[in-house]
Amino acid sequence: MFITKKAISRRTVLRSMGATVALPFLESMLPAMTPQTKKPPLRLACLEMVHGAAGCTRYGEQKNMWSPAAAGRDFDLAPSSLLPLDPWKKDLTIVSNTDMHAAEAWEPHELGGDHFRSSAVYLTQAHPKHTQSSDVRAGISFDQLYAQRFGQETPLPSIQLSIESVDQAGGCMYGYSCVYTDTMSWETPTKPLPMVRDPRMVFDQLFGVGGSKNERAKRRKTDRSILDWLNRRVSALKSSVGPADRQRLDEYFENVREIERRITRIEQQNASGESRQLPSAPIGVPDNWEEHVKLMFDLQVLAFVGNTTNISSFKMSRDVNGRVFPPSGVSTGFHNASHHGENEQRITQYAAINKYHISVLAYFVDKLKKTQEGDGTLLDHILILYGSPMGNSNLHNHKRVPLILLGHAGGALKGGLHFKAPDGTPSANMHLTLLHRIGFDNLESFGDSTGEIEI
Amino acid sequence: MSRQIFAFFGVVAVCLLFVGDVGLSQQQKPLAGSQTPPAKVAASPVVDTSVMSLEKQKAFISQNCSGCHNDKAKIGGMTLTALDLDHVEKTGELAERVLKKLRTGLMPPAGSRRPDQETVKAFVGTLEKQLDRVAALRPNPGTRLFQRLTRDEYARSVRELLGIDVDVEKYLPADTLSEGLDNMSESQAFSAALMEGYIRAAAQISREALGDPNAEPTSAVFKLNRTSAQLRHVEGAPVGTRGGISIMFNFPADGEYNFRSLMHGDTEGTLFGNSTNEQIEVSIDGERLALLNLDPGMAEESSEKGLNLATGRTFVKAGAHRVSAAFLQKRSEIVDDIIAPIEHTLASIDIADDGEKTTYPHLREFEIAGPFNVSGISDTPTRRKVFTCRPSSRSDETPCATKIIREMARQAYRRPLNDEDMEGLMTFYEQARAENDFESGIRTALQVILTSPDFLFKLEPVPATVKPGQNYRISDLALATRLSYFLWGTVPDDELITAARQGRLKDPLVLEKQVLRLLADSRASWLSTKFAGQWLQLADLLTFRPDPFYYPQYDHSLSLSMLREVEMFFDSIVREDRNVLDLLTANYTFVDERLALHYGIPVVRGGQFRRVELTDDYRRGLLGKGAVLALTSVADRTSPVQRGKWVMTVLLGTPPPPPPPVVPDLEQTPAVSSGKLLTVRERMETHRNNPNCMSCHRMIDPIGLALENFDVTGQWRTWDKTYAISSAGVRIHTAGIPVDSTTTLYDGTPLDGPASLRQGILKYSDAFISTLTEKLLAFAIGRRVEHFDMPVVRSISRDAAKKNNRFSAVILGIVKSPAFQMSRAQAESTAVH
Repeated sequence: MFITKKAISRRTVLRSMGATVALPFLESMLPAMTPQTKKPPLRLACLEMVHGAAGCTRYGEQKNMWSPAAAGRDFDLAPSSLLPLDPWKKDLTIVSNTDMHAAEAWEPHELGGDHFRSSAVYLTQAHPKHTQSSDVRAGISFDQLYAQRFGQETPLPSIQLSIESVDQAGGCMYGYSCVYTDTMSWETPTKPLPMVRDPRMVFDQLFGVGGSKNERAKRRKTDRSILDWLNRRVSALKSSVGPADRQRLDEYFENVREIERRITRIEQQNASGESRQLPSAPIGVPDNWEEHVKLMFDLQVLAFVGNTTNISSFKMSRDVNGRVFPPSGVSTGFHNASHHGENEQRITQYAAINKYHISVLAYFVDKLKKTQEGDGTLLDHILILYGSPMGNSNLHNHKRVPLILLGHAGGALKGGLHFKAPDGTPSANMHLTLLHRIGFDNLESFGDSTGEIEI
Repeated sequence: MSRQIFAFFGVVAVCLLFVGDVGLSQQQKPLAGSQTPPAKVAASPVVDTSVMSLEKQKAFISQNCSGCHNDKAKIGGMTLTALDLDHVEKTGELAERVLKKLRTGLMPPAGSRRPDQETVKAFVGTLEKQLDRVAALRPNPGTRLFQRLTRDEYARSVRELLGIDVDVEKYLPADTLSEGLDNMSESQAFSAALMEGYIRAAAQISREALGDPNAEPTSAVFKLNRTSAQLRHVEGAPVGTRGGISIMFNFPADGEYNFRSLMHGDTEGTLFGNSTNEQIEVSIDGERLALLNLDPGMAEESSEKGLNLATGRTFVKAGAHRVSAAFLQKRSEIVDDIIAPIEHTLASIDIADDGEKTTYPHLREFEIAGPFNVSGISDTPTRRKVFTCRPSSRSDETPCATKIIREMARQAYRRPLNDEDMEGLMTFYEQARAENDFESGIRTALQVILTSPDFLFKLEPVPATVKPGQNYRISDLALATRLSYFLWGTVPDDELITAARQGRLKDPLVLEKQVLRLLADSRASWLSTKFAGQWLQLADLLTFRPDPFYYPQYDHSLSLSMLREVEMFFDSIVREDRNVLDLLTANYTFVDERLALHYGIPVVRGGQFRRVELTDDYRRGLLGKGAVLALTSVADRTSPVQRGKWVMTVLLGTPPPPPPPVVPDLEQTPAVSSGKLLTVRERMETHRNNPNCMSCHRMIDPIGLALENFDVTGQWRTWDKTYAISSAGVRIHTAGIPVDSTTTLYDGTPLDGPASLRQGILKYSDAFISTLTEKLLAFAIGRRVEHFDMPVVRSISRDAAKKNNRFSAVILGIVKSPAFQMSRAQAESTAVH
């Protein structure tokens, strides 16, 4: 199959990037004249929502506000916050009744810090070290584990996106470093990756800076020679500083090398004859949550379509965030609403917020489903993980956490299933199962996993 | 343990040889330009009769503390069994924690038997002296990894080097906070995203600054906050306009640009606002570029341009220009509806659609696109600053380039350049020159300078003779960098660098003169915008949005005014070199018309801020500032807990311990009891009856309760707002409940409002001064203040007290301290992540 490039005006592009529409536009973004014969690569999108779900309370479980009453292939989403995903039921896998034990307090001094520990657990299933200094430690995250093995063929191994500003003063408490709350991607157990909030920055990361192809190539050449020079400069500087600073310079040096590697990839890709028609950069950070989230989804789709990267992690909120979501019909702030005090009416209200979030997720799913690729759609070739590392937010527990999977991961995931795990099953069993299916055949365990689940 | 102490002694002996006689003599005369050690930490040698004997100290602990803080009970997670009063240095950290609790009167807790003031004072004084004495003999300046420039420091450095404002958020990821500060070296991790940000920023900024004749058209879009007021004049916009936007923009080349204004639509997609004959003026540096009529019929779907108004391509010269797009002010007064118009009208659609009042169109975003048809690059202030020479022939070029590049790099690297530096930079120049022209050579060299670790990192060379663990004095050049980033947040200027290069900066007299000069400079506004903002947690204000049902008058513009008020207030303490306690007590503040209306201060007109005397006692000092009161509230109610916690953390330096795991939330407490609506206060009291919560909340809550007369937005109130659900199912306002602010401070002092709370806190003014000093010290040295720094903090506070707690005395104390001027050489084993 060949796709021919269409010219698109800058205005069209700006409008598309800005807010809504954009499907015809997405197709035009596909590599021009690129044969689509090779099996499309697996894409991985790890999305996190915070503060658990209403359906994870006792009352919410009774009313099936998250997981449906029936397990198996025949389940009803009507009472659930997941209802907006009903059109894609066949692409949906619900994993219910699993626990994220690593997010609980293990020591008395860790009590109370649930909000400031959760995000670091979501993709690592490791128990974060209780510290606010630089000696942070969690585990390699699911997305990074995958990126390290399968992300090396794209210009960017992975991208990290977020919605909420990370520089909220007084935001991280209970003796936990802010990085545990600010990011969920961990390159190594001691190296958290920052998440980018400005869509413009993401755009520049994805497509490089420069008005034209030539200009971009010219800039890459300069960048490369600057990087060469930086290598030499760092070595020279190392002689005049203390040993710990030398180590820090080494760390910096590694980043210089990483950028060099990226430039090489881009050049190789360009040399292979592929050229892309790129849109102009998007417009800073929208102040409307939904608009911002959708723009970030657009960018992920663009990145996947253009094979700029195949792996994303996207933090759609931040713990203890108090944002009000007017379209949900609830006027209470997010965090306050999550502390519903087990009051039935307030749990029902909270479910409305969860449902609203899912309705925005549906935008992403819809887009992927409508993007043709190979002999299927992008949704067939992606694995989306969505959920929260907290269960009942009112109790700050991490049991029976809300987790869903979307897409078919290139055939690795059948979909159309509600899997209800036996009580006490670690969520990590889901991560492990998925990792086994997507190339880590011999991985023995992940986090506190005890085995596979049947999804 | 004893072996460690012994090793510690050995190291100190060596370091004393190296730096002179740190901490030994009290009365050292400054020696001009020589190896003068920094100011002393030593305790005053004056014999003090209030010294407590060791037995009495031990008895004090066992009588007043050990009942709860023993290995078994461990109340508050603390046990004092290990506290070694015979050798205080062995358990210095624990001892400092004890001191903090005693100094703020938090311990022993209210309700239990409390020793009399004199006894506490004697215990505290004695313990402090013991700790200070040990520290004086064995000073520990601490150590940290090198710092990199924070995002804000980067922007300010660029402004200093090139005279342009750049939007760094576009390029660099946000800095991680530690202890509320963004420049703590331990939190400054490196990542590929950051590295890439540096590279991209350098490429873009060098083009923005010097202009780019090959610039391709791009677009920059500026979004207005949804609740930006549209009724008043916006700072920077031409007089006679209201609302809109005013920005500084760096035009990359002489050429044509298109300016597009996008208006807010209502839910149907038609133009929002019912006032007619509105016009938007687009202007550059105050000169009208275009006057555009708003068509009331415009709508998203009506035509290709939708809700956009564009100027069409217009010629603009390169360089930084002020661009404004604002509505023409058609009336001299705000329209007088039966219900006064609220400032922003877009906080919620309910309000916006509430028919009866005049609503104004809102500017939603503003785009500058270009350049098209580039004709060259005109002279700009930045270009004049950078191009100090112009080659008239090819043979002139290299010497001229050398001169320009040397000057730029010297300023950016904050030190004189060596041959190796120049060689590297000139290679880049030559290459770009060969491929293109002279200017592109200079621009490439600038790009390299901005990417260089010499610019991005504050590396402090360690003298070759120093061994790991030894204390050493940092170089004068490193001192100059520390100083200018501490007080200015940017590169040192020529005078400071010259003093450092000549080795004079370490001379206490020269240093003091430089500090005072830096403090008097306009760039010292860094302390009020950056330091005060982080210390007081003001960033939280901008993400706070109260429930528009109760507070329709609150909007983004008001929050900016509140922020500005606190910044100007702090700045007045700096500029007028006031007693830092004025931060709590000053009877003046700074307001513009908007904020004056909010506070009920009469006769303030216009958007200009001015100083006003406060007639309402409750408004005095930080506790009366709208910013502080709003940022410690939640959307639809005040939060006495958050306010109490803020005071304990920010002002007194004793953050309350975290709540137990299963926190029953306030929202869970019923809002109605026996058919009667409860105030926030009453709900809290019910909530607090839980014994798990009681022990801490009886310390935290009264502080906040004394501030209950301030509503969510910091306005004075005597009634708490309430609502009912109407038959139509919507909220309606009801009569409200009277506010009661009588309570008892944790030390038993009766309180009845903000003024009494202020007096109550002033009893612990030492703790306040110490907290401010600690925070400033951490900000100055880029690492957390540890227990071994506390003797330094006390010494600074003591010296400042002799100078009436003047702000400059605190700053000078910090700058002269070993923590600022010295460092302990890193050991091989220091863990780095």
